[in-house]
Amino acid sequence: AAFGLYFPRKEYSENVYIDQLAGMPLLRIHALRDSHGEAAHFHLCQNLIISRARSHENHWFQIREKTGLLYLSKSLDREDFNMLSVGNWMPLSKVMLYVFLSSHPFQEKECDSATRTTVFLSLINATAPVCSSLTARQLCFTEMDLSFHIKENKPPGTFHQLQLPSVHHLCQNLSISYKLLAAEGMPFRYNENTTGVSVTQRLDREERERYELIAKCTVREGFREMQVEVPFLVNVLDEDDSPPFLPNGTDTADAVVEFNRKEGTVLATLTVYDADTTPIYPLESSRKKYTGTIITDDPWISETFRVEHIFDEIHFSPNGSQVRGTQHEYKLVLNKSISVTEHRSFQLDVLVNDTEFHGPERSVMLHFNVSILPVSIQFPNMTYQFTVNRNAERFAQIGKICIENCMKFRGVNITYKLLSHNVSCYPVSILQGREDKWGSLYVNDSSVLRRPECKEIQYTIQATDKQSRKHTKTLLTIVLEGTLLKKEEDCPDSCAVSKHHAECEECGGLGVLTGRCQWRQGSGKGITTNYSTCTPSIKTCPDGTCDVIESKDPAVCPQDCTSGNIIGGHGKGTGNVGIKSGHGICYCFPRQNCYCEKDDIKEQLCDDVCKTVI
Amino acid sequence: LAGPPSPPGQDPHGWRVPVDCVRANELCAAEPSCSSRYRTLRQCLAGRDRNTMLANKECQAALEVLQESPLYDCRCKRGMKKELQCLQIYWSIHLGLTEGEEFYEASPYEPVTSRLSDIFRLASIFSGMDPATNSKSNHCLDAAKACNLNDNCKRLRSGYISTCSKEISAIEHCSRRKCHKALRQFFDRVPSEYTYRLLFCSCKDQACAERRRQTIVPSCSYEDKEKPNCLDLRNMCRTDHLCRSRLADFHTNCQASSQSLTSCPGDNYQACLGSYAGLIAGFDMTPNYVDASTTSITISPWCSCKGSGNMEEECEKFLQDFTENPCLRNAIQAFGNGTDVNLSP
Repeated sequence: AAFGLYFPRKEYSENVYIDQLAGMPLLRIHALRDSHGEAAHFHLCQNLIISRARSHENHWFQIREKTGLLYLSKSLDREDFNMLSVGNWMPLSKVMLYVFLSSHPFQEKECDSATRTTVFLSLINATAPVCSSLTARQLCFTEMDLSFHIKENKPPGTFHQLQLPSVHHLCQNLSISYKLLAAEGMPFRYNENTTGVSVTQRLDREERERYELIAKCTVREGFREMQVEVPFLVNVLDEDDSPPFLPNGTDTADAVVEFNRKEGTVLATLTVYDADTTPIYPLESSRKKYTGTIITDDPWISETFRVEHIFDEIHFSPNGSQVRGTQHEYKLVLNKSISVTEHRSFQLDVLVNDTEFHGPERSVMLHFNVSILPVSIQFPNMTYQFTVNRNAERFAQIGKICIENCMKFRGVNITYKLLSHNVSCYPVSILQGREDKWGSLYVNDSSVLRRPECKEIQYTIQATDKQSRKHTKTLLTIVLEGTLLKKEEDCPDSCAVSKHHAECEECGGLGVLTGRCQWRQGSGKGITTNYSTCTPSIKTCPDGTCDVIESKDPAVCPQDCTSGNIIGGHGKGTGNVGIKSGHGICYCFPRQNCYCEKDDIKEQLCDDVCKTVI
Repeated sequence: LAGPPSPPGQDPHGWRVPVDCVRANELCAAEPSCSSRYRTLRQCLAGRDRNTMLANKECQAALEVLQESPLYDCRCKRGMKKELQCLQIYWSIHLGLTEGEEFYEASPYEPVTSRLSDIFRLASIFSGMDPATNSKSNHCLDAAKACNLNDNCKRLRSGYISTCSKEISAIEHCSRRKCHKALRQFFDRVPSEYTYRLLFCSCKDQACAERRRQTIVPSCSYEDKEKPNCLDLRNMCRTDHLCRSRLADFHTNCQASSQSLTSCPGDNYQACLGSYAGLIAGFDMTPNYVDASTTSITISPWCSCKGSGNMEEECEKFLQDFTENPCLRNAIQAFGNGTDVNLSP
């Protein structure tokens, strides 16, 4: 009842010539029924739409209410033609009119029925061509493709007439006959007397959604015979006539919450199939038609979980031909981060409902076995011990502190804190990584390292979960080793300033572990991530990420952290920070520019003079 | 070769050339009866479709008066000053009148009367050679070199390339919006003899075709994580005046026609190529070469017809205007070969 009568195509087109006589038939429009007993009534909107938003009252075209034959009711003379061409830019003038459809006679000439089709009439600035000048193609078919759509599950009926009414009217001395090829076994029939094509039975899109036939036309004029073949296509339109079903009967999935407790985490996915198609636009309305609801009275469950629905087109192959269907995926998602102390198990049911399907099996129930496991905040059974060279400089990275499984955690925020025993020796600090998974130990006060009374320093490390305030402790021992080196004069703050191997390893700089910068020798091939550079520690700089310690001071590792100009061949790092790749040697003046260039100063070759032994 | 330029104020078919909509708006505002009708019509159109509007007597009267005003036939010029304002005025009248669900919309832009031959003439002046005879070289590389020799082209090209390849963060590969804006500036402000050579160069090997495909920095301006449905993309484009106009212009000038020799409307390659280049700036409707094939040219926007439901046929039709469009393909090939249609005046 929602559909009613409908047109089997969206657009029709035909040519109109100057001075064609009133009564000239132009084209035949058909309608298909939604239920038996409906009778179609056709009606024209009394406005011609001329391209570019002009409209004009229609004086020339009329349609037979019962048969759908559009004809010329008044001859279109040159003056009419000029009037209708104003505002048309293209050499070809077109007017457009709407044909409306109703199951009862039209009471008044209303212009706003939902069921309508569009007719394009091309106004040709010439008198109608004589029949003998027309090609077989022109005599047999219009320019438009023969392409139709028929709704599934609807009664049979005639939906097209192959014969062109205008040609039939004008060229009566020609014999034009049609045939429908490749129609054996297909639910279509051609009637030779009327040249009408009808669908003979209810169609099922889930069986087959496209029929490709061939319309063949034969023109005979005396002894001459011409033939034309064009494709004749029928698409079957879908309606919601299939219930949802489960692939392999799977309606249950396990959903375990352990280390990953972050809001937005997808815990499990269950799939529902439907043989009907689902348009992905407008997306929201399609989502509303196929709902997934968590069935629960527990406010904690409805606050903590949500169901996300995505769908995608898939193909089924019933009896060989491919038809489109839909795969719906229902994902159980954490709606908020879950505390590490939470511990429970339950079954969560999701009701999936195909709201437009009118049958008893319109819904399926999905079950998620949810287990929320608590996680413990504890250090691995050991104490930490790190050795630090007495020559290490400020921001030297000593090591990482991590509670058990810390790298697996998501949505758990751990803070690491150092509690010192002997207050006088306090050289190191801890900084939190961005994702709050581990803590990085670094030298905060290098002068303490140099003091002879500080040898072995004890700390207690405390790790605390922000949400539950649960915490744990362990011992950390820092052993100072090595003998103090004499500091070179004229050395810059930053290792990155050195552009030669020798000067790099002579100096120290912020972040060095043993008092000396390290040289990284690159491959030297073009612009590469493996460029040559001077760094406090090859392990951490450059490694492509500007970590928390490096970002404390721009002199530590500008190779990873610079946001200034880079002069020379280079590629920038993510977010325009750092040098991802460079040409030759890259060196930087912190807070200023970086340079990447080939080192062209080579040792002078031994010339003839030096070879000469006196 | 192209015919002589048409006299001002007339197009080749002898119809009067309409004023631009910004000017038409000014003319209308100076005339009390016009301006009040225009206001009425805009109120009529707001949130209503054509048929409900026509049912109202006052709206009908406003429409009839306005049909005689210059506002009715007004157009916009590509890249004109106040282009956006012009398009806004255009659609304020046409949105309600041309039926939103129309498959093809008429272009709000003035028709292009110049010909490809005009470009070739200029191109041979600056390159010092006839592009048609120079068959061995990499045309796309030549085009890049030619662009680098022109300050304006070089500046705007390096402008969009650096904008489009600037990585924002690990998640956001680049700023698509800024990239599109920079591309739009390039195609609007650089003469087409430079931009077309980059975009439509002919290729004999894959390296050349890959360079051609990379012209618009597709990783930022074209590709996306997911391919949306083409009809969805079209709806989105139609909510934006500029994108809608450029798409309508593409449909007007590149719509394959069986009534012309070249499959192009009015056999005008230049107009089709211009509308194509205009779409590149057109937000998510940006078309590009789908691969670096040298033998076949396939163009497509970043969309597919998956999930079209009952509109699959319409979706395919929309997509095929890009992927299987003989007019567009002929125009690109003709440009690459340095040939244009010979027109008898």
